[in-house]
Amino acid sequence: MTSFLDVNNVSLTIDNKALLSDISFQMQSGDYLCILGPNGAGKSSLLKILMGIIPASSGTIHLQESNVLDLSQKQRAQQLSYVPQSHKGLLHFSVEEFIKMARYAYHSALSDWHGQDKQAMERAVEITHTEAFLQRQMNTLSGGEAQRVMIAAALCQQTPLLLLDEPTSFLDPRHQVEVHQLIRELNQQHNISIIEVSHDFNHAAQHSQHILAFKNGKTQWYGVSKDLLQAAHLQALYDQDFVFTTHPQTGATIALANELS
Amino acid sequence: MKPITVLIVVIISTLAIVCISPYLGLQSGSAEIQHHILTQLRIPRILFTFLAGSGLALCGMVFQAMFHNPLATPFTLGVASGASLGAAIYVYLGFSFSLFGLDGGTFAAFTGALLAISFVYAVSRYQNGFSPETLLLTGVAISFFFSSLILFTQYLSNLNDSFEIMRWLMGSLTTVGYHDVLQLLPFVTICTAVILWLSRELNLLMAGDDIAISRGMPVHTIRYLLFFVTSLCVGAIVALCGPIGFVGMMVPHICRLLVGGNHRWLIPTTLLFGGSFLIICDTIARLIIAPAEIPVGVITTLLGGPFFLWLLIKSKTRLS
Repeated sequence: MTSFLDVNNVSLTIDNKALLSDISFQMQSGDYLCILGPNGAGKSSLLKILMGIIPASSGTIHLQESNVLDLSQKQRAQQLSYVPQSHKGLLHFSVEEFIKMARYAYHSALSDWHGQDKQAMERAVEITHTEAFLQRQMNTLSGGEAQRVMIAAALCQQTPLLLLDEPTSFLDPRHQVEVHQLIRELNQQHNISIIEVSHDFNHAAQHSQHILAFKNGKTQWYGVSKDLLQAAHLQALYDQDFVFTTHPQTGATIALANELS
Repeated sequence: MKPITVLIVVIISTLAIVCISPYLGLQSGSAEIQHHILTQLRIPRILFTFLAGSGLALCGMVFQAMFHNPLATPFTLGVASGASLGAAIYVYLGFSFSLFGLDGGTFAAFTGALLAISFVYAVSRYQNGFSPETLLLTGVAISFFFSSLILFTQYLSNLNDSFEIMRWLMGSLTTVGYHDVLQLLPFVTICTAVILWLSRELNLLMAGDDIAISRGMPVHTIRYLLFFVTSLCVGAIVALCGPIGFVGMMVPHICRLLVGGNHRWLIPTTLLFGGSFLIICDTIARLIIAPAEIPVGVITTLLGGPFFLWLLIKSKTRLS
């Protein structure tokens, strides 16, 4: 059986420095994959390579059996969408205008906005609960609102695979929970495959299906998410001692960086 | 106000400005002389000024979108000084040729403009991204460098050529005829057409490269194309009337405040506003110490300097 996404020996070298070396992994349709690893491990670079923002130095990427590197950028944007880690305030755009722009890949300069676009947009707005601020300006949004708008725009692209670069890193706990619930809903109810770069190993272990862990541009650990939370794995990945406890309500294992060590 | 309302107001004001300004300062002389001044001097001058103002404003708008920077214009990035240097060298070398009915000076200015922008682009690419500080400093550095080369060229030139170069640098619309209008028309038209065609791409560029690429836009191809047409347009304008400063920075900002950032509305508004703004400046330059004239570049720079500072202070407070 062929995989939904097949990444084979992808490397990235910039100025003779290997940022990623021989990354290979497969992903099935409907999977929720988290990429973990210390800062500078190359997590974001991998997402950017998948999206076509930076070119890979070598390796192949197949998505639904077509070679992603052969696709035009427009064709690629119909297969993959991307929520960047940080984004500038788009000062003079309304939220609605910004989300509409995400339909770029389905249009040429002369084609009109049609029913399918409207449907895609309404659906994206409904799922992300962004109706209330469609008319607001992008620069008036709070961090949590902006993140939901960014996800709405990516959904508007109607792609089978969604790439998220640390979607909750800059959010307070309430909005972290909100965004994570939204991501799980996309994955489970709308059957969108997800690759999420994250530092939240507890969340990743509990809610994603697979984890790919990088260290210094190499795969350090790859497997079923719930198997990650073991002292040896985490210690090797982050060079840091961890202690373990269980969640008082769910009984799930929780790892904590041990500040006493 | 809705963008469409603003656009209609701008269209009406533009028509009024274009129709009224030729008659201002036209009191003396017989009817025959007045008629001659109107048809042979004023009308071509108004048409030319409109084209130059529109072109500069549109190019400024494109630069601001491309570099995600409110201070990026053909001027702050050294493109205009590149074009000026090209034109100055052309005058100094005393070449005289024309291609397809276009003056050799236009080609020289165009080459200078393209050279300057390629340099700025290469430096910011080398720096791995478009940091606003690097970009502006590169632009300033290249402006100084080219300015001293212009001075050097001027120093080497004889008195006539030197005066001709000097007149260019002040930015003047005084000696314009229908011939100049026809020279400028194709450049501004092509540039405007390409910019209109790429209005969706310009919107995406405002959102940053990563988002633009992830939406499916071939960012680098589009950027090269935009560089090419804007250099073409700025090169032609500078060759014909000198580096008229700050139009390209002020007008797009004012228009963005009026109609928002969506280029669908921003492009037509900037086009009309830029044209009429320069006509107003030129009319002031013509009337303020009549019968003598001040170079229009002096007026736009007098207005633009304070505006630039205001923008700098404003964007600083927003960043912190």
